[in-house]
Amino acid sequence: MTATVLSPRLSHRLRLRRRADRWINLLLLMPGCGFLLLAMMLPICQLALASFGLFGIGAVGQFTIQNYAEISQNLLFTSAFRFSLQIAAVTTLISVAVATLFTAVLQIDFPGRRLVGALYKVPLVVPSLIAAFLVLTMIGPGGMAARVLQPFGVRWPSFLHDPSGFGIILVLLWHNIPITILIVSAVAAAVPRDVIEAARTLGANPWRVFRRIMVPLCAPGIAAAALLVFIDAFGTYAIPSLIGPAFPRAISVMMTSEFLLHANWGTASALGVVMIVTTALILVLYHLLVDRGAARPDS
Amino acid sequence: MTAFWFIRSRRLRWLIGGIILVGTVLVFVLPMAVAVLWSLVDPEVGWFPPDVVPSRLSLANWRALLAVPEMSQAFAASFLIATLVTGLCMLLGLPSAYAIARRPLRHRRAIELLVLTPLMMPSVVLATGLGSIFIRLGLSQTIVGVVLAQTIVVLPFMIRIVTATLTGVPQDLIDAARNLGATPLVMTRRVLMPLIVPGLFAGALLAFIGSLEEFILTFVVGMPKIQTLPMLLWAYLGGRSSIQTYAAVVSLALLAPTLIVLFIAERVLKQEHLAAGFGKA
Repeated sequence: MTATVLSPRLSHRLRLRRRADRWINLLLLMPGCGFLLLAMMLPICQLALASFGLFGIGAVGQFTIQNYAEISQNLLFTSAFRFSLQIAAVTTLISVAVATLFTAVLQIDFPGRRLVGALYKVPLVVPSLIAAFLVLTMIGPGGMAARVLQPFGVRWPSFLHDPSGFGIILVLLWHNIPITILIVSAVAAAVPRDVIEAARTLGANPWRVFRRIMVPLCAPGIAAAALLVFIDAFGTYAIPSLIGPAFPRAISVMMTSEFLLHANWGTASALGVVMIVTTALILVLYHLLVDRGAARPDS
Repeated sequence: MTAFWFIRSRRLRWLIGGIILVGTVLVFVLPMAVAVLWSLVDPEVGWFPPDVVPSRLSLANWRALLAVPEMSQAFAASFLIATLVTGLCMLLGLPSAYAIARRPLRHRRAIELLVLTPLMMPSVVLATGLGSIFIRLGLSQTIVGVVLAQTIVVLPFMIRIVTATLTGVPQDLIDAARNLGATPLVMTRRVLMPLIVPGLFAGALLAFIGSLEEFILTFVVGMPKIQTLPMLLWAYLGGRSSIQTYAAVVSLALLAPTLIVLFIAERVLKQEHLAAGFGKA
């Protein structure tokens, strides 16, 4: 009797409990996650609307694709987009290659290995503006490299405002390679010792172990690091605004100068939407390549 | 991480070690030393090219940090804003971190993704969208506006670190406290809090640093009324006019708290928490 009478009451109480739980969750999540949701959605909606001429500051208030026509036809904007993509791609490739090699080197048992392992982390705490300053004191005009080479009659190339964007890439590399090393070597540390020892016993030399075992097993970490570097390099503003060339300019610099100098929020918003879409596409590509690729062998 | 690559010849080992160490010091440490030299250049003598070391050193630039009004004001503004941002992040972040770490959630994956989005979106794009909203709301060029803007990019670090700490608290301890008659409030105060203080501390420090160093959002929302140290640094690096010595002083003033905090954080935090915190600079 008790069982049949109690169970509906119990299930009712359980349902009430679950509903209360849901409210408590909502209440707890509201301040933090609610704030973030609002803080992400509002600017994105604002950008999307303003890029079509709606709700923008100084916009006509009528739907228009004028802004997109402008940025897809004007050479200033198309070259800015290409320039930013180029910088991001080159930075990512070099970062990943150097970081992987550095991780290989850290596998060698050499004296001072722990010190090197601590020293390379210095740039992790340096904000990108300061990174730009530090790199410029070394390789910029009047920098250390130029000073040291001058007595030998060697003219050091100026990396300030060079149209190839190589100066920007060097600063980005200085800033991003340590992050990449940190991620790759953390994944490398998780590779089981047995596998490495088995390969060594079977006659593989250390370089072969690194190439054939470490790199494939670290691939997901390398890809994640590459994603972070690409997104950072594509969206960077401080570095190209200071040491970038007058033409082509980075897309972030074009965007800010559109609204800071020309009060042209419509074009700036369209550029912002292009940047968001590009970043989202990169994320989707990463998901398709890595998450799916990683899931397949297991299942 | 233990090495698996052993080299027999001792001389070769020392040679390899030497080359790598010198290379690392040249690339990652020497620039810091050069920045210190730049901050000590005597403004009356200067430091001109063939010299590898300035001919005369002085503390004039460091005195300027307090004496030049725009620098001392930026210094005060930076630290005021960083304190407010840290407080706000604590207030907003703690409940969410608790929910993510310890409560049954239906859309946990989506919520974790949401926390990550501010780190994935280019800050300059966020700044553009937020800038025009804030102009309309009258928050542009105000401390409140800058604090809100910075909180968006700093809060994710706070939530992630506190979540990681809260996840590490064993449920047994909480159950035991409740079994022994502690009310939820007493349990939180006497059991949970002491266990997560290191994580809270680390989260607060990272939030503080994140706010101190934030540039583009502050630049777009605060300019020209609110000036923080990174904005001054940008100006001295050529954004307005190039003043190398002042740039060095401001850089070092910004780096000092960061280096101190990193030193503390490395003791308090596990490596992976730190890695999560420094995911995006």
